[in-house]
Amino acid sequence: MENLKNYSRVFIESFGIDESKLSSLKYQDIPEWDSVGHMGLVASIEEAFNIEMEIDDIIDFSSFEKGLEIVSKYKISFNE
Amino acid sequence: MNDNLANKGLSFDIAGIKKCQKNRYPLLYIDKVENVIPGKFARGIKCFSYNEWFFPAHFKKEPSVPGFIQVEALVQTFLMTFLTLSEYKGKKAMGLSWDKVKFKRTIVPGECLIIESHLVSFKRGIAKGYSVSFVDGKPACSAEFTVVIPSVLSKFNPK
Repeated sequence: MENLKNYSRVFIESFGIDESKLSSLKYQDIPEWDSVGHMGLVASIEEAFNIEMEIDDIIDFSSFEKGLEIVSKYKISFNE
Repeated sequence: MNDNLANKGLSFDIAGIKKCQKNRYPLLYIDKVENVIPGKFARGIKCFSYNEWFFPAHFKKEPSVPGFIQVEALVQTFLMTFLTLSEYKGKKAMGLSWDKVKFKRTIVPGECLIIESHLVSFKRGIAKGYSVSFVDGKPACSAEFTVVIPSVLSKFNPK
């Protein structure tokens, strides 16, 4: 649960979005998640979980849900 | 300047600067860049003569360099810390944020601004760093910058 909270917090702080809108959030759904916002989001997630994502994963990171799947690949569990 | 950076690195005259960045007259505000260590540091020089287009307007009786032009000189020197890397030379760069801008003195015709720019991080097309400047060895303006290279950023856009 702690990792999920941390993951959600990064989105909330990066985009100033309400938590209730996170689960369905996709790239470019909101003006803040544009190409620049995407890089800021990726950098914040890498910092929060002490990981470094591969280029293909950054490109595939197209939604809140998809991001959970991608970050899980780096041995970060969201099912605690 | 940090002693270990003095008298080291690459030098660029105006032709060399124009090969690295897209700014042009009347909005190119550095004359020369020295001690460039690509990916790390650049030292820019801008000398202001009364022939600058803005002095008659800013201000008629007390000409001084407008603040936005001072900051533009700072960011243009900052660009030289990473647009001098061979894979990024000549690429279009765009400002994302200018923070903690401070002006310590007025700059008047006949004075030269010496700018020292440091690249703190450069990752996936986003450059972060800062510039400090001096006139006659005394602090002038300073600022922190985040600048992006759109063509690099676009490679990471979700499909």
